[in-house]
Amino acid sequence: MKKLAEVLKDWEAVIGLEVHTELTTLETKMFCNCKNTHDDPPNTNVCPVCLGMPGALPVPNRAAIQSIVMAGLATNCQIMRHSMFYRKHYFYPDMAKNFQTTQGPVAFCMHGHLDLEVSGEGAAERPAWEDVAGDGETPISREKDGSYVAPIRILRIHMEEDAAKMVHVGGEEGRITAATESLIDYNRCGTPLIELVTEPDLRTPEEARLFMEKLQQTFKTLGISDCSLENGSMRCDGNISLRRRGETRLGTKTEMKNINSFKSLHDALEYEICRQAEVLEEGGIIYQETRHWEPSRRRTVVMRVKETADDYRLFPDPDLAPFDLTDDFIEEAREKIPELPDAKRDRYMHDYGLKRADAAQLAGDPAVADFFEKALEGAPKKAVATIANVMVNLAPSFDALSPAQVRSISGLLAEDAITFAQAREVLEAVNGTEKDPERVVDERGMRQVTDTAALEPIVDEVLARCTDQVQQYHDGNKKVVGYLVGQCMKASKGSGNPKLFNKLLTARLEA
Amino acid sequence: MANIDQLSAARIAAGVAAGEFSATEVAKASLDAIEARDEKVQAFLQVSSDLALAAAAETDRLRAAGEKLGPLAGVPVAFKDNMHLVGTRTTCASKMLENYESTFTATCVQRMLDAGATPMGKANMDEFAFGSSTESSAFHRTNNPWDTERVPGGSSGGSAAAVAAGEVTISLGSDTGGSIRQPASLCGVVGMKPTYGAVSRYGVVAFGSSLDQVGPFGRSVEDVALAMNALTAAGRDPYDSTSQPCAVDFLEHLEDPVEGMRVGVVPALMEAAGLTTEVRAAVEGAAKALENAGAELVEVDLPNIKSAIAAYYVIAPCEAFSNLARFDGVRYGYQEEGCLSLAEQTSKSRAHGFGEEAKRRQMLGAYLLSSGVYDKYYYPAQQVRTLITQDYKRAYEQCDVILMPASPRTAFKFGEMSDPTQMYASDMFTISNNIAGNGGISVPLGLGAESHLPVSVQLQGPAFSDRKLLRFARAVEKSFSARGAVAPEFAGKGGELS
Repeated sequence: MKKLAEVLKDWEAVIGLEVHTELTTLETKMFCNCKNTHDDPPNTNVCPVCLGMPGALPVPNRAAIQSIVMAGLATNCQIMRHSMFYRKHYFYPDMAKNFQTTQGPVAFCMHGHLDLEVSGEGAAERPAWEDVAGDGETPISREKDGSYVAPIRILRIHMEEDAAKMVHVGGEEGRITAATESLIDYNRCGTPLIELVTEPDLRTPEEARLFMEKLQQTFKTLGISDCSLENGSMRCDGNISLRRRGETRLGTKTEMKNINSFKSLHDALEYEICRQAEVLEEGGIIYQETRHWEPSRRRTVVMRVKETADDYRLFPDPDLAPFDLTDDFIEEAREKIPELPDAKRDRYMHDYGLKRADAAQLAGDPAVADFFEKALEGAPKKAVATIANVMVNLAPSFDALSPAQVRSISGLLAEDAITFAQAREVLEAVNGTEKDPERVVDERGMRQVTDTAALEPIVDEVLARCTDQVQQYHDGNKKVVGYLVGQCMKASKGSGNPKLFNKLLTARLEA
Repeated sequence: MANIDQLSAARIAAGVAAGEFSATEVAKASLDAIEARDEKVQAFLQVSSDLALAAAAETDRLRAAGEKLGPLAGVPVAFKDNMHLVGTRTTCASKMLENYESTFTATCVQRMLDAGATPMGKANMDEFAFGSSTESSAFHRTNNPWDTERVPGGSSGGSAAAVAAGEVTISLGSDTGGSIRQPASLCGVVGMKPTYGAVSRYGVVAFGSSLDQVGPFGRSVEDVALAMNALTAAGRDPYDSTSQPCAVDFLEHLEDPVEGMRVGVVPALMEAAGLTTEVRAAVEGAAKALENAGAELVEVDLPNIKSAIAAYYVIAPCEAFSNLARFDGVRYGYQEEGCLSLAEQTSKSRAHGFGEEAKRRQMLGAYLLSSGVYDKYYYPAQQVRTLITQDYKRAYEQCDVILMPASPRTAFKFGEMSDPTQMYASDMFTISNNIAGNGGISVPLGLGAESHLPVSVQLQGPAFSDRKLLRFARAVEKSFSARGAVAPEFAGKGGELS
C-alpha cells in the first residue's frame, strides 16, 4: 500500500466522527434511580426500569440533561428549547426493552463547532494546496510554520441511554460468532450517554485525533465524564470516504469501530485511507460496511456489510413528555461551566508569558492545570516560567509528585542551585514521598557552587590546558565553549554551576 | 345479615370501622360469592385468597390496635390482570406471560391497598388489552352476568363482570380506547376512565402509553368516586413522568345539583350508523333527565371525531408494537425451546407466545412505523389527534360535559364479531376521548327496551374535570334511581355476610 502522504496527494479524505460519552460522574442512571457505576458485581445495579420489565416507566434524570446542555454550550451549540425523546427499535438482548431511548431529528444541542489548532508534523499531513477552499467552505490560512486552525462543525449532541455489556464466551476474540455462551451485565444498561456527531469536516487522521483530544479535554473540564477511551466511557466511531481531488460528491464511506486510544484513531484512519485508495486505484469499489480495527495487526477487517439501511422505526417516546428547557435551566447550566481549556491557555500565555504550546499542554487536562495552579500558589513571580518548564518537561515523567515539590524544585532551578539533570534525580527521589526536594539536595550535597571566586581557579586551569579549543574559539567557532564548560564541570566534579562557568569562560575568552 | 353484593364500598368501610363486621368476614363473603358465581361468570384468572385474607387480617389488626382505617377498609377489590401485585402472576391474559410473577406492585394497586382495600385477585381481559369482548384472552372467555351466552365487553371484561356479578365491590380496569367504559356499559355497572395523567400507569403493563389510563368500576357513582379518591389522594406519582397532581375530594360535590349547567349533545353522533334504537332512546332519556334536573342542553359539534377510529388504529398499534417488543423470551415469559440462534428463539417465542390479535396489532404497528410508511400514517394521525383535541376544547367553551352513548349496542354473542374491524367499531364513542386525553364515564340506565340487556350513557368532560363528571354521573344515576344492580342470575348466590 502507498503511504498516507502519497495517497493524500491524489485523494481527499472526508472524515466524520461519532463520539459516545458516558456521563460517568452522575450518581444515577438516565431513567431510573439505580447507581451509575459499572464496577459492582454484574447485574447488581438494576431495577424494573433498566431491566425493561413490563409495567416499568422511565423518569428522566434532570442532572443528565444539565450535563448535555453544558456540553452543548462548551462546544458552541445551539441549545434547543423544545426537543423530545424517541424510541429506536432493534431486537438484541443488550437493550432490555428492545428499543433504545434516544432523541429524534431535534437534539438538545444542535449546530456547534470546535476550532482545532493543527501544528508541527500533524499540520504537514494536510497537503498545502488543499487549503484552497471548495464551494461554500472557509479557506484554511496557515502560519509561516505551517500550522493552521481548522473549524470543525458539530451537527448535534443528543441524549440517550447506554446498552448492557455483553460478554461472549467460547467464540473467537470475544465476538458473538461461534460463542457458546453470551453473558449480559445490565449494570451499564441505562447509563446516561451523550452522542456527538460531527459534520464530515475532518481531512486528516491527525485532525481526527486532535478533535477527540480536544473533546476529551472539554468534557473532562466540564466534569461530566471521566472520558476514558481505554475503559470505554468515551467511544469513537470514525466514518471515512475518499474522493478524487477536485471532486465534490462524497464517496462511499466505511465505519471504523473498536477505537480505544488516540493512537488507534489516527492509525485506523491512516490505514483505512490507504486501503480505500488502493481498492479504488485498482478499479475496485468500496462497500458501505462496518470495519473493526485490530491494533495488534494494524489493520481494519470487515465486521458486517450494510446491504440495506437499518429500519429502527423511530418514533416519539409516549412515556416521556416533550422537553421545554427554560432560560433559567440553560443559564444554570452555563454558570456551572468552568474555565475551558482554550480560555485557560490564553490566560496562561497572557498572565504568565508562557509559550502557546506550553500553555496549551498545561491547560488541556484539567487535572494538570489544577496541579500547575496549586504549584504556583505562593511562588514568586519570576519562578512562574520555571514552574511551567518543570510541569511541561519534567513532571510528566513522574506519577506521584505534589505541587509543593514542584514549587520547591523549581525554586532551586531558578536560583541555579542545581542543574536540570540533577532536578530529575531529585524528583526521582521524592516521587511518591512527602520529602522536600530542598532537603534531598542538601543531604546529597548537590547544591552547586555559585560563588565566582571558588570557580575562577577551575576556569583558569581549563583554559590553560585546552589551548586548541581556545584557538578554535578565537578562529570563530564559538560553540566550542560548550566543550570547555564540560571540562569545568568535570574538574569541579559536578558541583559548579554550568551557567556560571559559561559566563566566566565567555568573559575570559572575549577579554 | 346481608349479602356482600348489596353493600356499597362506603357501607363496608363504615361497617368494618364500626366493628359491625370484620374485614375478614367481608373477605370470606367475597370469596364465597366468587366460589358460587365465578364458575359460570369466569371473571377471574386468579383468586388471591391468601393475599385477601392476609390483607383483611391486617385491617382487623389495625382496627383492634385503635388505628385509623382507610376509606376502603375491607372493601373487596379485583384488579385487571395487566396490573402488578406482588404475590400474584401478571399474565395480561397471554400465554407469553402465563407464569410471570409480579416483581413489584403497581402504584394504582398499592394506593387501593393503602386505602384498606382487600385484593381478591386478578380479572380476565383481552390479551394485552387488545379487544372489546375479552374473547382474545389466551385462557378462557368471561361471560356477561346478564346473559352468559354474551360477551362482557372488553378489554377489561373480567373487571366489569366481577362487579356486575356482585363478586367484588370495586375493580380496576384500564382504558386505551374504551376498555373501561364499553364493558361497564355491557355489564350495567359504572366505569370511569379518568383524565390522562390523573392515575399513575406505573406497574400497569403498557399497551398504548399515550392513551392508557387506569380507572375504577363500581355498582354506584359513589363507589367509583371513593376509588378515585384512593387512586389520586397521594398526589402525582414520581415513577410516572406523565402523571399529574389532581388530588381533590371526589365525594365533596357529588350530590350538588346540576341546575344551570350545560350538557353538550352532538347531533351527528346520535345519528351514527351502528347505534341501536334502544341505546339511542336510553341516551336521549338520560339527556332529558338532566334537563329535568335543571341542566341546559346545548348542541355542540365535534367535526373531526369521525376520523378518531382511523387515527387510533395508527397511533395505538405503533405504541403497542414498541411496548410489546420487550417480550422476546430471553429473560422471562414464554421461551421456545430447542432454538439454534437468538433470532430463531426471538421470532418463535413471539410467534407462539402471542395470540392472533396481539400479533395483528404488532405487525400493523411495525408496518406503520417503518421508513417510508411512517410519514404517510403516523404523522397525519398525530395531526388528526390535534384536531380532535381542539374540537373538544371548542366544544367545552359551550358546555360543561358532553353526553353520548358509551357503546353503540348492548352485549353481543360470542363469536358474533368475527371481522376485527367490526369489533374496532365497538369503541366508536369512546376512542376520541382517549385521543384527546379527557375523562369519561359510563353510567348504567337500566335495561334496553328490546334486548333487555344493560344500556348506558357516557359523559365526557374536559381534562381534569373528573370531579364535575362524577357529579353529572350522580345526577343521571339519581334521576334513573337505577343504581347499578347485580345481575339477577347471580344476586344473592353465596356471599352472605354473617
